[in-house]
Amino acid sequence: MGSRIRENVKHFFECFCEVVPPTADKEAWIIQQYPDTYNDEEVLKSVPKFAYPYKFENTIIQHYSFVLTDIESKWTFGFCRHDPKSETALVVLTYLPWHQAFYKFLDNIAVLTQSPRSEDLGEFLRDVHNRKLPDPGKMFEVTFNKGESMFAVERPKQFQLPSIPENRNLTEYYNAVDANNMMLIFASMLYERRIIFTSKKLTRLSASVQSANDIIYPMLWQHIFIPVLPMALIDYLLAPMPFLIGVPDEVLKKVHRHEIGDVVILDADANTVETPFDDLNSLPQEVINSLKKQLKNRSALLGDGVSRAFLRALVQLIGGYREALHFQPGEKVTFDRDKFIDSRPVTLQPFLKQMLHLQIFQQFIEERLEMLNTGLGFSDEFEIEACRYSEKTSSKLKQQYREWTSTMRKEGTAFFKSVKEKANPAMKSAVKTVKDGGKGVKSAYKGLRSKLRENQSPQQLQNGLDSPNDKPRSAPNSPTGKRRSLGFSVPTTTYRKDSLNFKSSTSERAYSPLTPISQPLSPDTSDRSRSGTPGLDIPRIDLMTEMQDLLQLRLDTPPVDRSLKPVRSLENFKHTSPLSSPDHWAFPSRSGAPITVPTTKLFLPNQKSQDTQNLLQSPDDIFSSPPVPPRASSVENEFFGTASFVVGGGRSENGDPVFLVANRHTVDVVKLSPPTISPRRKKDNVVEDLIRLDSTSDTDDFDPLKSSNGKSSYLKNSLDFSADNHIPLCLSNPLYNYHEPRSIQQNGSTTLSKENRNDQDLLQEYGLDFNHFNANFNFDTFQPANNTAKVSSQSQWTTFE
Amino acid sequence: MARDYDHLFKLLIIGDSGVGKSSLLLRFADNTFSGSYITTIGVDFKIRTVTIDGQRIKLQIWDTAGQERFRTITSTYYRGTHGVIVVYDVTNGESFANVKRWLHEIEQNCDVVNRILVGNKNDCPDRKVVLTEDAKRFADTMGIQLFETSAKDNINVEEMFINVTRLVLRAKLEMKERQNVTQNDVVNLRKSNKQGKKRCC
Repeated sequence: MGSRIRENVKHFFECFCEVVPPTADKEAWIIQQYPDTYNDEEVLKSVPKFAYPYKFENTIIQHYSFVLTDIESKWTFGFCRHDPKSETALVVLTYLPWHQAFYKFLDNIAVLTQSPRSEDLGEFLRDVHNRKLPDPGKMFEVTFNKGESMFAVERPKQFQLPSIPENRNLTEYYNAVDANNMMLIFASMLYERRIIFTSKKLTRLSASVQSANDIIYPMLWQHIFIPVLPMALIDYLLAPMPFLIGVPDEVLKKVHRHEIGDVVILDADANTVETPFDDLNSLPQEVINSLKKQLKNRSALLGDGVSRAFLRALVQLIGGYREALHFQPGEKVTFDRDKFIDSRPVTLQPFLKQMLHLQIFQQFIEERLEMLNTGLGFSDEFEIEACRYSEKTSSKLKQQYREWTSTMRKEGTAFFKSVKEKANPAMKSAVKTVKDGGKGVKSAYKGLRSKLRENQSPQQLQNGLDSPNDKPRSAPNSPTGKRRSLGFSVPTTTYRKDSLNFKSSTSERAYSPLTPISQPLSPDTSDRSRSGTPGLDIPRIDLMTEMQDLLQLRLDTPPVDRSLKPVRSLENFKHTSPLSSPDHWAFPSRSGAPITVPTTKLFLPNQKSQDTQNLLQSPDDIFSSPPVPPRASSVENEFFGTASFVVGGGRSENGDPVFLVANRHTVDVVKLSPPTISPRRKKDNVVEDLIRLDSTSDTDDFDPLKSSNGKSSYLKNSLDFSADNHIPLCLSNPLYNYHEPRSIQQNGSTTLSKENRNDQDLLQEYGLDFNHFNANFNFDTFQPANNTAKVSSQSQWTTFE
Repeated sequence: MARDYDHLFKLLIIGDSGVGKSSLLLRFADNTFSGSYITTIGVDFKIRTVTIDGQRIKLQIWDTAGQERFRTITSTYYRGTHGVIVVYDVTNGESFANVKRWLHEIEQNCDVVNRILVGNKNDCPDRKVVLTEDAKRFADTMGIQLFETSAKDNINVEEMFINVTRLVLRAKLEMKERQNVTQNDVVNLRKSNKQGKKRCC
């Protein structure tokens, strides 16, 4: 399909490289890498080129990203950190487009390269590499420094629109380029032009290119995509096909403009767009007008305002694809191009006819059809927005789709079998959920749901899409979320043990600082343009990184210490190297270096330092909004009143009745059995009842609409399809950068299973957090008293702004 | 400015990965230009200068990664090119099916694109599944030439590239001539000289 993001990624990163800058007679080269088992020669050969895309001097800490495209056109992201205090560049290669997380990761690595214990970095890299990825929205945590410090980043949730200021790329793009030029670029992309971005700053360059692509969601750039073009590859600007290429200013100076032909050039430093086309004005006027209007309201652009404005423009343009879907029982859903054009307003038609000839639109349609035909239904930010835009259409459409799926169900074992086989594992597990439901929790939801219905407007319930409750998923770094995640982090003793274990194993084997990774490559002919670069104009102001740098310096390393510390330099490698050959440089051993600061200061202590570290190391966090006070009450919650009542119940495995008792602030699980059973056993039972569902599956009842969200199985009464829009289980939605299919969860007790996640989303929607609830089951049910796990739900409310 | 060529043509080579596009390019290209970036930035090109009818022609042949993911390759992809070399693998029926779809798309949506159909890996009769007759019949209906090549054994490769170059050159000269004629007409008739730039799709 059209996705260019890899699925089923196993590791946080694929490879870490430290790259030595080029000199007069030598190209840049990799001095060391981890793991040394990573052996994609072609990639390793090009990493130095991208780490030093041109000869530049570094005066500030710079973060930027580059993208490599493999033979299947899948992307590998390279995150890069240049530090004036270091003579080398740090590069991480990964399949995950989690920009914020990887910049933080690089900062962490940079600190570790200064560590007095030379094996610290190797151990940290190994631990991170071996750590399993968490579910979306959960924290990825790795301790280091003998368990004293922790590296923690949140795995981005699915279907989040990039928001300001959390999304660093969009923030950078928005700061550099005004609304009108953003629209110009947007229009140029909708015409699949050859587009060049340029800037003197690599950070701004790569961020802008990435954001421009994010902004055409739900479509995805299908053509040549090179956020940072190294000098060595300058000839690729001659490509006759559509492209989106970030060209550093120094590189662009070397280009003969007349050779490139018709291109759109955005200068992100000057905020100017040069274009031989009139693409913006050839977009339908009504679309431009509403886009302009939305982008004018600057106060509304914080958060996902910018992303949503462009998303709405695309909904206006192509949301109507839904009316051109052709549901023929017994056949796959198809898209009728003519019907698509005819069903749209006359003013849109000329442009839409043109859109049919876009690769990005073609892939969008293919991908939506795939989603429908595998029974994954309608659900993501785009469809939600499309529903908002045209409620009437969507209900009619859903009706059709429902009929189609029910016919398919009646008719067709064969078809759905094939669909089911094609569908990914998450899909199968969704079927499981629908089939079996949770024993105990199921009824609890029913109870909650029916209570809620009394108090909610029927419209809102019918159309969950309009609910403002969609919001919290769009606020990735909201302080509440962070606090919650930390709240039930696994006790660090576990990690300590881990790191001790790791320590005892030989770190040298996995991490081989002595291995010369790459011989300096002989300059090939294509690099001829590199020579003779004139004096460079180094960017002086980079607020993001500068602030970060400043804070890091102030808090990580006291000024006194800084002055004493040797600058990280290649000299260190040389001194410690057992071999005299310049190709055999050792990783610097710091044991002899004077240490003026106790390590505990260098690495802030674990839990307590977490917030501080986040604050210091990630500029994104500096900008995060202040904590939102928990919502004391809202219309939806009023039904709870102050009285407690039983909202549900079930039975644990050994027959003990379990009740869920709720009041306005808490949800309690009350077990009525005498406390004779061992608490451990009990805990397991309850947990099982809550999340582990047995796996018999019955195809007859299979309904793909419902299975697209396990939640709906609990809500048979309400029968609203819009509920399915809440959160898709696992859509093969490659168009969204942050999309990550969740891995199947085997072990239901400590981590959350997919089914549970959806349950949890429902509960969160109504202000209950079972996540925490489970955590309490795991750690607190040992209280023998009355077997009540008490959760103050108020502190766990998901807050909506 | 002195140039070392009279014409610069940009051609595309399209086809599933695995049909031997890279091998064909390697066979054809100047040996001086080495290194491939198709696996690192998803795009590659090769250069060669040939002389046809006394004219020096510089050819750039471009290739991109992962084309097989497209059901159709839309017209924007061909916008800036002079010609397309469409390659399938004679031992792989699916690669032929893809190519047929793509050629239909070009036919319908791109005004002027010089095309040539190439069945590569034509070196092992036992494994051949796309019969010459079938391919020929299809090429005829599309009004394009068919070449069966083997990059491995270097069969028909040179001929194929020279042929597509001729095709593009002829198209260019014809268009120039037409323009001249129209321009003369325009001058004679003293009409406003408003001629839209004709470009492929």
